[in-house]
Amino acid sequence: MIRTRELTKRYGSILAVDGVSLDVRAGDIYGFLGANGSGKTTTVRMILGLVLATSGEVQLLGQPMPRGGRKALPQVGALVEGPAAYAHLSGRANLALLDAMGAGGVRRTRQGRIDAVLEQVGLAEVGRRPVKAYSLGMRQRLGLGAALLRQPRLLVLDEPTNGLDPQGIREIRELLQHLHANGTTVFLSSHLLAEVEQLCTRVGVLDRGRLVLQEDLADLQAPTGRTVVHTPDYDRAHALLDGRIEQRDGDRLVVRGADPAQLNAMLVSDGIRVTELGPERRTLEQVVLAATDTSSHQVGVTR
Amino acid sequence: MSHDGFAVRAWQRWLAVGLGLAILLSLPSVLGALPAADSDVGATELLEQVRDSGEVPFSGYAESVGGLQLPVTRDFTDLVDLFGERSRMRVWWRGSEDWRMDTLSATGETDLFHRAGATLMWDYEDNRATLSSDPDIRLPRTADLLPTELGRRLLSEATAEEVTRIPPIRVAGRDAPGLRLQPADSRTTVDRVDVWVDPQSGLPLRVQVHGVGSDTAALTSTFLELTVAPPSESDTSFITPTGAEFRFEDVIDVAAAADQFAPAVAPDRLAGLDRRTDESTVGALGAYGRGVTLLAAVPIWDEISRPLRDQLEATPGARIDEQGVYVSVGPLGLLLTPGSREQRSWLIAGTVTSQTLADAATDVARIPVADG
Amino acid sequence: MIAVELSKMLRRPRTWVTILLLNALPTLVAVLLAVTDLGPRPGSGPAFLSAVLADGTLFPLAALAIILPLFLPIAVAVFAGDSVAGEAQSGTLRYLLVRPVGRTRLLVAKLVSVIAFVLLAVVIVAATAYVVGSLLLGDQPLAASVSGTTLTPEQVAVRTVLAIGYITLSMLGVASIALLLSTLTDSPLAAALGALAFLIASSLLLTLDAAEVLQPYLPTRYWLSFVDLFRDPIFWRDIVRGIGLQAVYVVVLLGAAWANFTTKDVTS
Repeated sequence: MIRTRELTKRYGSILAVDGVSLDVRAGDIYGFLGANGSGKTTTVRMILGLVLATSGEVQLLGQPMPRGGRKALPQVGALVEGPAAYAHLSGRANLALLDAMGAGGVRRTRQGRIDAVLEQVGLAEVGRRPVKAYSLGMRQRLGLGAALLRQPRLLVLDEPTNGLDPQGIREIRELLQHLHANGTTVFLSSHLLAEVEQLCTRVGVLDRGRLVLQEDLADLQAPTGRTVVHTPDYDRAHALLDGRIEQRDGDRLVVRGADPAQLNAMLVSDGIRVTELGPERRTLEQVVLAATDTSSHQVGVTR
Repeated sequence: MSHDGFAVRAWQRWLAVGLGLAILLSLPSVLGALPAADSDVGATELLEQVRDSGEVPFSGYAESVGGLQLPVTRDFTDLVDLFGERSRMRVWWRGSEDWRMDTLSATGETDLFHRAGATLMWDYEDNRATLSSDPDIRLPRTADLLPTELGRRLLSEATAEEVTRIPPIRVAGRDAPGLRLQPADSRTTVDRVDVWVDPQSGLPLRVQVHGVGSDTAALTSTFLELTVAPPSESDTSFITPTGAEFRFEDVIDVAAAADQFAPAVAPDRLAGLDRRTDESTVGALGAYGRGVTLLAAVPIWDEISRPLRDQLEATPGARIDEQGVYVSVGPLGLLLTPGSREQRSWLIAGTVTSQTLADAATDVARIPVADG
Repeated sequence: MIAVELSKMLRRPRTWVTILLLNALPTLVAVLLAVTDLGPRPGSGPAFLSAVLADGTLFPLAALAIILPLFLPIAVAVFAGDSVAGEAQSGTLRYLLVRPVGRTRLLVAKLVSVIAFVLLAVVIVAATAYVVGSLLLGDQPLAASVSGTTLTPEQVAVRTVLAIGYITLSMLGVASIALLLSTLTDSPLAAALGALAFLIASSLLLTLDAAEVLQPYLPTRYWLSFVDLFRDPIFWRDIVRGIGLQAVYVVVLLGAAWANFTTKDVTS
């Protein structure tokens, strides 16, 4: 759906995006992670043809950007760097205006689509109020609604949960999962690890303009081949598992061995109390920190 | 690929815009530089054509630009505009006794309708029509600056020896062969008069007057549009609109007034120049000289001469001596003689050297006092 | 898309406030003239104003002459300056562009909507002035052209419509300048002020003899030529030139706006 090759953007002497090769496949919920200022937004703008790359290329839905925008963009819904609307008009009027702009907004179905979209993003009640009376969260929902207006195959969302309360964030997450289940590919850029971890099937990590990681989330979170055991009986466990304990942190032991069931049976049969036990998985945070540390060649930072 | 393509397209776009701008900007000057076709007509032949063109009917639009800042008082404000500003004129000419000329301004116009010795002036902004019969002598008015009028007048007394051919230029879309008048008289301050003429009709299309020792023209008058065909009679007719003021005036300007009512009679000869015979020889205002060597002298009342003297004396470059105050503006010289109880002030002006003006001042000083 | 831009323009409160303000000055002038009965000295003041004390139906022309030199171009500069920069500032520009809306088409639609605004404003000012003039000012029909000939009411109406069209076209130059600046900056205010600076410079240079070589190129050069429509016969020369000059401004500045905008990074 999105494929970039060695995408680079230079502003004067500043290299904002440096040789980024993204690969977003159909059916992904792709989490595009990176700190503020890492070049996420610039990359998103290049994908959408708003910013022209210094070098490299972008394919959006198989079309080269920005030239193929006329073909590709009508099937893409986007929310870039916060929502925007004409404040003196109502939410409905904003959606109607936007839909009437450019090709693809069929007039006959417009009202129906607007109704559906306002319902989807939870603005059905306030659609007729002028946007200047909206809260930040409502504007965010309206922006999302605008992106959904033409039932896009691909959603490109830049920080979509900005300004939303936890309830709103959950609603949006459920909405995206629902859309995804119906076949929409989602490209979500965010600086919130938790958001990406909960929602995405695939992540790319951008650090200071460079793509340092791009993997399926399931692969990143695959068991490491070690087991985590919490036990108050450290000494006895240590005696039993001598040599297999790789790490100890209070009650928490990291034990070599990829079979938690076997380890549990072994401990229990020896009468060692186990409060918690399971295969070790890396958190996304660990993965990201590891990847960004490598990229910056920093040494000695561990957690 | 796309990035290179776009970078290229960016500069290509700017190049296209730049080229378009360059073409648009240069278009007028390129068109203006197109060579004009010359004609093999000789100088004297062309001169004859001009002199015979008075009854050729035409209509058109002309502009005159004067570079002379006359230091005169409000009795002469029309003259200041005439010789110091740009005048925009529309003209319909059915013949020398049936024509109309509009002087355009941004918010209105002043129109002259001339028919058989009488002239009607319509002033839109005053909402007034003024009828007057043409006096023997009057101040110049915009109609006199039309290239046709100006060209004919300046060339009227040129001799065959004084005129030469100069290269043609394009005026009002016509190839116009040029004629140059270089006056033989050493007393004149006019260096040359260039006139470009429509070879078919003999109408002067462009006139340029250069003073001695100046590169820029003192006066230029050019047709920008010209149709050589008789205008319809309705174009030169005027019916005073309802609600407008109509009046009849005997005396149209200070020159005519001075000529009729001034307290002295101008002499027959001044500074060695003969009084012109084409105008009245009995009035107070005397016009002297031939061709472009012209001199006019008029006695004036104190009420007019006093502010004029103050104005002239305040003009930078004014020369003040026992003969009066002298000012020169381009080729035009002005001298105001001192007035006294026994002696009226004379205003002497003309396209002559300061020495000639001084001679004239000496001459008028001998004129007997006629106390009005 | 042009229809959408027009509807956006018509639905903005700013449009109507501006038109209201444009009407305020001529109406005030009419009231003052009616109350004091003091017309401007002939030859001074805006065109036709000295005539309206006698014939109030000429007031639409006087009203246009009143707003033409400053009020109308300011409104145009503000509107055109806002057209792209305003969308950029509010962030809606990026959403239009990913809709997608072609950048060139957006520019053209913006210019059309600015011109539609000018036409709307000029027509409303003329209509209001006709009503105000008929009610408050003189009622002895002059119906005379500038050249002193009598015009029928139909002729006056046709020429007034031509004048409205000409004045609208005269604003194209300012609109294009503001539109170009509007693509160069994300600040509508900067674009409007830039266009106004150009306008003031143009008006100033027109009064300067030394700038004569530049004068045929100045956008304000032929603005007052709408008066030529009321000469008899109509003096077309400057009107044709005025329209041509505005067309050149549109082509060059829209070209520059296009060259800049279509290859510009939209980072707002």
